[in-house]
Amino acid sequence: MIEKISFSATINGQKVGPMDVPQDLMMVELLQEYLNLTGTRLSCGQGMCSACRVIVDDPAKGTYTVAACVTGVAWLNGKTVRTIEGIAGEDGQGAPLPSAIQQAFLEHFSFQCSYCTPGFVNSATVLVEQLERSPIAADRVEDVVLESLDKHICRCTGYVRYYQAVKDVILSTPGLTHENPVVLERPA
Amino acid sequence: MVASPVGQDPGWFAGGRLRYRRDGMAKVTGSKVFAIDMRARDLDGWPDHQSHALTLHVPRADRVYLGLDLSVLEPDLAPDVLIDAERLAKDKVTMPDADFYGDFFLEPGNVSPMLGQPVALGIWHDYERFRAARKLLQFNNDIFRFGEQADPPKRAPYGAARFVRIGGDDPRGADRFSPMKDYVVWPDTDESGVQWPAHDHPAFGAAMGHSSDIQSEMENPPEGSRTFAREYRSQSIDPCAMEMENGLGWYDPDSGRLNVVGATQSPYSAAHHILEMMSASTLPLKALDFVTGYTVGYGQKEHQSFPYYVAMAALYGDGNPVRLALDRWQHFQFALKRHPFDIRTALTVDKDGQFQAMSCDMTGDGGGVMNFSPSVGTVAVTAAQSVYYMPKSDMSVQVLPSIGVTSGSMRGYGTLQSMATTEMLVDEIADEIGMDAIELRRKNVIQSGMKNTQGAVPSGHLRIGEILDIARQDPLWTERADRKAAYEAENPGTLYGLGFASVQKDFGTGAEAAVVRLEITPEGRLKMRHVAAEIGAGATTSQMLVTEPYLGRPADEVEFSVQHWPEMPLKTEDQPYTTPQEEEDQLSQDPYWVPRFTSPRSASNSAYYFTHATQQAAQLLLRLALWPSALAIWGAGPSGGQSTPEPLRFEDAEWRDGMLVARSMEPLSLERLAKRAHEKGSITGVCIHTFNRWAWTEAEFEVEGQSFRAPIDALSVKWGTGADAARKAQMTDGGYAFQPRTKVYYPPVQRNNAGTVYYAPCATLVELGVATGSGKVTILSHKTWLECGTQIVPELVSGQLQGGIAMGIGHALYEDLPTDADGPGNGTWNYSRYHLPRASEVGVWTQTGHVLPPLSGEDPPKGMAEVVMIPIVGACANAIAHATGHRFYSFPISASRIQEVL
Repeated sequence: MIEKISFSATINGQKVGPMDVPQDLMMVELLQEYLNLTGTRLSCGQGMCSACRVIVDDPAKGTYTVAACVTGVAWLNGKTVRTIEGIAGEDGQGAPLPSAIQQAFLEHFSFQCSYCTPGFVNSATVLVEQLERSPIAADRVEDVVLESLDKHICRCTGYVRYYQAVKDVILSTPGLTHENPVVLERPA
Repeated sequence: MVASPVGQDPGWFAGGRLRYRRDGMAKVTGSKVFAIDMRARDLDGWPDHQSHALTLHVPRADRVYLGLDLSVLEPDLAPDVLIDAERLAKDKVTMPDADFYGDFFLEPGNVSPMLGQPVALGIWHDYERFRAARKLLQFNNDIFRFGEQADPPKRAPYGAARFVRIGGDDPRGADRFSPMKDYVVWPDTDESGVQWPAHDHPAFGAAMGHSSDIQSEMENPPEGSRTFAREYRSQSIDPCAMEMENGLGWYDPDSGRLNVVGATQSPYSAAHHILEMMSASTLPLKALDFVTGYTVGYGQKEHQSFPYYVAMAALYGDGNPVRLALDRWQHFQFALKRHPFDIRTALTVDKDGQFQAMSCDMTGDGGGVMNFSPSVGTVAVTAAQSVYYMPKSDMSVQVLPSIGVTSGSMRGYGTLQSMATTEMLVDEIADEIGMDAIELRRKNVIQSGMKNTQGAVPSGHLRIGEILDIARQDPLWTERADRKAAYEAENPGTLYGLGFASVQKDFGTGAEAAVVRLEITPEGRLKMRHVAAEIGAGATTSQMLVTEPYLGRPADEVEFSVQHWPEMPLKTEDQPYTTPQEEEDQLSQDPYWVPRFTSPRSASNSAYYFTHATQQAAQLLLRLALWPSALAIWGAGPSGGQSTPEPLRFEDAEWRDGMLVARSMEPLSLERLAKRAHEKGSITGVCIHTFNRWAWTEAEFEVEGQSFRAPIDALSVKWGTGADAARKAQMTDGGYAFQPRTKVYYPPVQRNNAGTVYYAPCATLVELGVATGSGKVTILSHKTWLECGTQIVPELVSGQLQGGIAMGIGHALYEDLPTDADGPGNGTWNYSRYHLPRASEVGVWTQTGHVLPPLSGEDPPKGMAEVVMIPIVGACANAIAHATGHRFYSFPISASRIQEVL
């Protein structure tokens, strides 16, 4: 007998559910097998490699990522989640409009096979959003990028081009570092 | 390849500039590009509902396997279909080339040859029962019934060989004895091991005599010379492709059509072997459609058996598509590994530091199934010379079966294991004889025209000496003593070490074949079909760019990983290494015969070999299609038009800003040329086949009155929409007309003995800190120099370099798999106990890479994806020796091993 729960959430801005799913279902299974959102990639199934990290927008705790391979749907029930499929915008003609992080990954040739890319995109996105709220000194950027992304395993790239891309986004985006503040134009 | 959003995004190349990878937008947005992303409902024409399959692998090889006990699944979760050896035997579904791939399933009553051997495959027609059943079966060894304790079956070594060379007085002159001049020793093998031939052996006796002489001389070196011999151990590694083994298949028993979406680096072989799998089957197979996704493997998905499990599972889906995907534990349990080797290396050095002789004896562990073990062994030992010229050498290898998971063709193909240890020995010798370690290398470096240990002359100019000259002047090297003292003073409890290693790695296999088709549409769009598969390294970006110098722009549309080539109706036995010369001479009289049809994506082969094929197709399209059209346009009008006053030659053709120009002629767009060619029914498409056996095959052709010789061995052409009836009637091969070669020049089969002639050199300096308390190693920085000819896409080269170094650091310091009963074949391994290097462990912010400029505008691109991961391994070992004063001879040099000696 397969025990089930009723699950609902907001995923990439869309209401999902209520739907009956096995009570021990992991988020990555829900995304892949029930919603056909396969950009969240299963690799270790242990929460070790972070290929499957998705973003949780929690009004109480803020924005953070979780490893979807070891996070049960029961825990995510009712929450708001972003996956890689919800990061890029749309250019009005049906083509994707990459986020700043995605664009930087493209221009830096950051990824090779790309299996781990969605996880990197999500964690880097959360980092940028955190820095929007709490900017840092420019000389701390490398340390902060490393702290934020070191949980991600990439077997192809040696990480360099991912890290350089995130660093570039942080240093070039006004408001993310103390040295590059957002300049508000005074109303005429 | 399987349909995906790749190709829908035109933004990758804009304004005459590569902006990002062609597959970049699809990948960065998480689109379905991998086979593992695909579900039946994503595929046009497939039923929406899919079933799920699970392989069951025995975790031990020391007891007789009696069968399964799946009572744990009763009553609701039993598989809807259970396939085992008996069922396959009944249906006559057989593993193709079982000696190479192993058997599908172990039959009850036998001891498994290896841990992790599949015994059965279950299929569940709904996901929720499947996952519930999987949960009960995972880590549950009670489902396997075992009998009495027994040994696994005895097996002969997978392969063994000996390469003996005695050079002449001139390293560039004739050898006294060498594999290239004479032969390789291929000993008999049986269950008792390798039977090395005696000195009076009719075929191999002379080589064995030379071998004994070299060994004897090395044991008793002349006055003033010393022989240094060390024993090394290189461990078993999991390539850890992030995409696990997987695939999706659908078999319609009514139509007899089998559709498979696979994840493999060798799609052409996989497709043909699936046909072989079904050749005697009672299940009808009328058609096979095998496509691949974008994938990744580092060799782990090269000629692996998994696609056949996917195809086999599909046969039993009761008409439903079946998905078979290993989880990470199973992937560790069954996917191919890097060979562990025990290596005994000896070098005799004279009083001036000149190398006199080398011997290397390698014993590899091939695991449970042969796979590529024989050739991994020979490639490994023929690379052991690293970057040095050896006047005499005796290099032997054997690769043995074991109960471990099968070893395959992981990145480096054995050369990482052999060259890294040679570099450690050279470093130790420098210490022992009191010579600067880079100076010792420089003194003995192989130079252009000198021979390798097989007696073959490497291709072109060897530039490792150039790299050594740069490295020995680097401040990291020249100031190493001061830097060590300063660092250790500033960081009490941490020892500073600087290490260097230099290698040159072959690329290709000695039987590289490729097929490429290029054609222009009436609208001037450039369409390509190509055998290249994408494994992450970027071949599907770079091969599109290769057309630009010849056709003015990258291909507009492309189909990669193509296995069906009706336009190239060739025949082959695919025995390029073993066909005798006389027989090959006879076979090659047939213009439809080639030694091999195509190669997988492996052996760093796309940059050089696939590029050559793409270039040849582009050049021939220019020569046979565009240039005649240009001449016709320029020559139109009274008195021969604008071209009459100019002496135009084909060599004058060049592209400027996307327009074809020649001397002072009017620039012509591809669109205009295409329109003309189609209107006149001229040639508008070419399909070519290439073959390289450590040299390019050339052939002569006569096409439309033009006689030419080109470095290809087969050609088909297509005429444009305005072709006359006679030409249209000739286009019977997939819309193309095969053009029989009039003469062909295959490189002699003796070149198989060369081992390799194509090398890319690379060297790395690494500085690291060793914590005296824990033994923990911290990479402080590293610097790498590479020579790879002309870079097609420098960003892709740099990415390979950085990624290769990280993988090398993993090999040097962290990754390790037991090869006994505790190894990954028992199904309990995952990243929680197998440490892959993270960014904080690879010097992510402090590394640099330098690529030498090409020698000429036509310096071909070299395969470099493997070589870049090798020098860091030896360099780390040498740096740890510099830091601790202790030499380690076994990988990985883990913190705990360091701690033991501190």
